[in-house]
Amino acid sequence: MEDFVIAILRSGTPLIYVTLAGVIAQRAGIWHLGLEGLMIAGACATVLGIVLMQSIWLALLGAIMVCVLGSILFWFVVEKLKANQIIAGLGLTGLGLGGTALAVQSIFGTQAAVSAPFGLPRIGSAFGSFGSLSILVLIMPIIVLAMWFMLRRTRFGLRLAAAGEHPFAARSVGINPALMRLVALIISGVLCALAGAELAAGSLQIFAQNMTAGRGFMGFAAVIFGAGHPIGAALAALFFAIVGALGIRAQLTFGDRVPHDLLLALPYLATVLGIWLSTHLRGGTKAASGFGELRDQ
Amino acid sequence: MTKVSLPIFECRDVTVRYGHILALSNVGAVFERGVIHAVVGQNGAGKTTFARVLAGLVRPASGQIKIDGRPLAGGNVKDARRSGVELVHQSFALPPSFTVAEAMQFGAQGGRFFTKANLEKRWQPHLDALDVKVSARQRIRDLPVETQQGVEIARALVSDAKLLILDEPTAVLAPEGVEKLFDRVRRLKERGVTVILILHKIREVLAIADTVTVLRGGKLVDGPLPCNGIDANRLAELIIGPAVARNLKPEDKAALTGAAVISHAEQHADIHAAPVLKMRAVSTRADPEGPALDGITLDIRPGEIIGVAGVEGNGQKTLVRAISALTDVVNGEISIDGTNVTRAPLAARRASGLRIIPFERNVEGLSMTSSLWENWSARNLLQIPLLSTISPSAIRRQCDTALKQWDVRYSDVSQRAGSLSGGNAQKVILSREMDEDARLILAAQPTRGLDICATSFVWESMRNARARGCGLLFISSDLDEILDISDRIIVMLSGRIVAEFRPPYDLAAVGAAMTGMLR
Repeated sequence: MEDFVIAILRSGTPLIYVTLAGVIAQRAGIWHLGLEGLMIAGACATVLGIVLMQSIWLALLGAIMVCVLGSILFWFVVEKLKANQIIAGLGLTGLGLGGTALAVQSIFGTQAAVSAPFGLPRIGSAFGSFGSLSILVLIMPIIVLAMWFMLRRTRFGLRLAAAGEHPFAARSVGINPALMRLVALIISGVLCALAGAELAAGSLQIFAQNMTAGRGFMGFAAVIFGAGHPIGAALAALFFAIVGALGIRAQLTFGDRVPHDLLLALPYLATVLGIWLSTHLRGGTKAASGFGELRDQ
Repeated sequence: MTKVSLPIFECRDVTVRYGHILALSNVGAVFERGVIHAVVGQNGAGKTTFARVLAGLVRPASGQIKIDGRPLAGGNVKDARRSGVELVHQSFALPPSFTVAEAMQFGAQGGRFFTKANLEKRWQPHLDALDVKVSARQRIRDLPVETQQGVEIARALVSDAKLLILDEPTAVLAPEGVEKLFDRVRRLKERGVTVILILHKIREVLAIADTVTVLRGGKLVDGPLPCNGIDANRLAELIIGPAVARNLKPEDKAALTGAAVISHAEQHADIHAAPVLKMRAVSTRADPEGPALDGITLDIRPGEIIGVAGVEGNGQKTLVRAISALTDVVNGEISIDGTNVTRAPLAARRASGLRIIPFERNVEGLSMTSSLWENWSARNLLQIPLLSTISPSAIRRQCDTALKQWDVRYSDVSQRAGSLSGGNAQKVILSREMDEDARLILAAQPTRGLDICATSFVWESMRNARARGCGLLFISSDLDEILDISDRIIVMLSGRIVAEFRPPYDLAAVGAAMTGMLR
């Protein structure tokens, strides 16, 4: 049982971080399909930072800088160049997946996985078998609560939501919606960097191409599943992680008797099911209305 | 005698351009403190732009604005709000998912962090003090328009507003609602707030305002003029402009400006003719677009215009959607020209002569990114088999002829529909939907947002269609125009027809029926 909880925390934490990144973007009116790209950029930058700079803190800082720069680029393309945010987000994902492969290839001259000599600091042996988890797992619940507080209990959060939901309303009280979106995307970028760092340097200490394997998109799904609420979305992400862990369990238990691919597909099936359920329980997606457009007058 | 108080606000030579369009040109006026000012003008006169300039939402290309003697940084909402200027928008600017308390809070000072309870504690007294009957806990999207407007006014007064601007606040209200709003405005005046009301009905101006300022075509025509002793006819002339006024029928002129209540008494329809539209106890399901229809029974005879009055959102949209096969009819029967079409698809209904001028001309009526000829030919293309060939050059020629007949101003039939002005875009729809084979025309808000010339053009087209023997269903939120051209008026409330009126009409009775207060 303990192993199972650890497995869930391990796979769930990066997913929760990237989900929070999607939540804040969505509150500001951006349906962020570039999460996958930023997350893998964060993972790559973390491992490369450890290898090249021999410091986890410098590596984390580097990852955050890379993801924030990516976010600013995304903001510029969507806000200033008026590109469709769905297309721009997918472009960012492509850039992240391709760019990290290119970076590894050009530095190491090979496409093979890069492993790091060390990773994120661990919680420590005081926590028993949980000690092998990274500190990002430990602070994850704090970040979730902080995001909830910021988005739902501060005037800043209200203004961010107003800028996202009704930019004209925001403008008429003197809020600059474009600026609010920039702030939201920068915070979102930091969270993507943490998601990537935890993925690559949390329990593993390795960067492999494509290692995010759709987690950014699952995070996006969790945003919709959780109706854009930080805690709801984090719980949705946790649910996906549980289903994923159950899938792995099932593989070990059933072995070859059940098709391997079906078990691997479990989290994704759960995602589809979850979204279908959540829209039906709420009676239509208020979240999905106005998908991909910024209303202004 | 010396003037005691400074003017609350003055502007000089204010000019605003949107691209090549001159929205305001050299507007200068001085507004006195502590009274109620009306700014009137037709659509396109620049009223909303004027309001937005004052509120700092639009930066003027040139000119100067002073609030309380202090020059305002143009295009800066924060600066305008610091000077005490607040604007209430025509279509309210409140995020629908917010609670009332959150909507108050997001634009207010102070309260950087909060809990739900202290938000409510902070704003409920504010709402109560302004007599807005709403719980701070309710969500904006669940509120009726009148309450939303009250909330928006309350929002505008969260800071110590000295100058409150209301942009066409009466457009969304039933007559009773207008009365309540005016009471509220008078109480604000007693509290020392200067109010600028953007209006377009002379009747309302005379009922509430102390001064009136007239805009036409982006220019200041006159004002602020004191309202006592002003002549409604003279004011109507100022609003419409002498050149256009000469070509208008007197009752149309009155309907355009709301100067007087008109009620034509001609009965055009032959009451023995078979109806073009027959609805018998039609009910539908509720959907996000509006309430369900509940037992609608309605006949429209050839040569008859039926006006549909009602506060927006009381089933008018559903009615149009039910007749045009866009929503399922649960119970009842719909016939067009004697044919039962209750289960027939839209294409079949169109083949029987149904034509639709939809609510949203830029969304439902035209494809803004397609060419004029593609838009114009859409109706005919629906009627021919899917795999038949078409000749674009022939369609372009026909389209050219048709659009010229309808006096559409355009340079080339291949230009995008989105490049036309509102009036011209509507004419493209009219030319498509008001053809010789039309039997039943649904005209949903056909004049919304149009200027005077385009509005009277639409009215004339509807009268011509009536003369040809079409039946028309005319939905509008402007009671004056409904009274002017309808042969019969039905009033919708919560998906039902609650009253029917024949000429001569009584505006007060129609208004009362709209809010369910018909005696």
